[in-house]
Amino acid sequence: MKYLFIGLVLLFSFSVTAEQDRYVFANDEQAKRFGELTKELRCPKCQNQNIADSDAVVAKDLRDKVIVLVKEGKSKDEVIEYMIDRYGYFVHYEPPVTPATLILWVLPILIVIIGFGFIVIRQRKAAIKQNWNDQDEELLAKLIAQNQRQEQK
Amino acid sequence: MNRKFLALLPLLAFVLICVFLYQGLFANPRELQTGRIGQAMPSFNLPDLMQDDKRWQQTDLEGEVYLLNVWGTWCPTCLAELGYLTQLREQGVKIVGLYYVQSYDSDFDGPFDMDSLRDEVSTMLSRAGDPYQFNILDLERTLALDLGVSGAPETFLVDSSGTILLHHTGDINPRVWRAKFAPIMQELTP
Repeated sequence: MKYLFIGLVLLFSFSVTAEQDRYVFANDEQAKRFGELTKELRCPKCQNQNIADSDAVVAKDLRDKVIVLVKEGKSKDEVIEYMIDRYGYFVHYEPPVTPATLILWVLPILIVIIGFGFIVIRQRKAAIKQNWNDQDEELLAKLIAQNQRQEQK
Repeated sequence: MNRKFLALLPLLAFVLICVFLYQGLFANPRELQTGRIGQAMPSFNLPDLMQDDKRWQQTDLEGEVYLLNVWGTWCPTCLAELGYLTQLREQGVKIVGLYYVQSYDSDFDGPFDMDSLRDEVSTMLSRAGDPYQFNILDLERTLALDLGVSGAPETFLVDSSGTILLHHTGDINPRVWRAKFAPIMQELTP
């Protein structure tokens, strides 16, 4: 059983190294760039996957193209630009700031500002109501005394 | 007054969210914006699907309004639209096929064989209708990638100067033709 297991592990490890030959880069920096790009680029066919995850033909084509472009020494932004030229903004998981997407960026900030504004205004109102002077103090003391007398009776 | 308004605020927010989500039910996520609309047809030099010695370039296509239809025999929706596309050809619409090969890559589907592919194509076209003036063979899907094609069927409307006016994802049927293609076609060919 143990030997069978070791045999299986060896068997699979060979095929893995063979597959990895395609992803050999000149330096670590390029390999890292490839990894980042395939996670950030979205598969146009299976829309909730990035191209690293997806098995669609188009995702494979995009991966291969990213390899070629990265090996040519293109920067991350250049590769993203290349893909957006062809597949639209859709292909990148980070939406750019355009009039159509402005709300995505502004809304969270707006909600926080409105929320804090609300709290501040409420506190101010409460603070105004609590102005307390000697006259009020006297009135309160009188009322308490009255109440106590009534209870004693 | 202010109190009442505040009490109604959650309800208001709820209604707004409902409206937003409700219209989301009818949005089509396949309706993609693509980067190529308004731009020139990318340059290419690719073989003909049926003839060994014939090659096509983007300049061969210029001078006429045409549809570039991305298709493959492996794609059932493409088969479904062949009949209607053939009707369009009979009405005088020029349709060029861009054959999207899926089986060329051994990662996906067995070895590739040109002769059996040609057999398959002619059988399918003789059965379901042949809308194509000719077919361009995109073995490595390079033109497809340059056009922002994500699968098949997809159709591009290109004007006589070679500018891409429309990119449609999915099949073409009478409804799609009336809504998306016909208005632009009318402007182009009065």
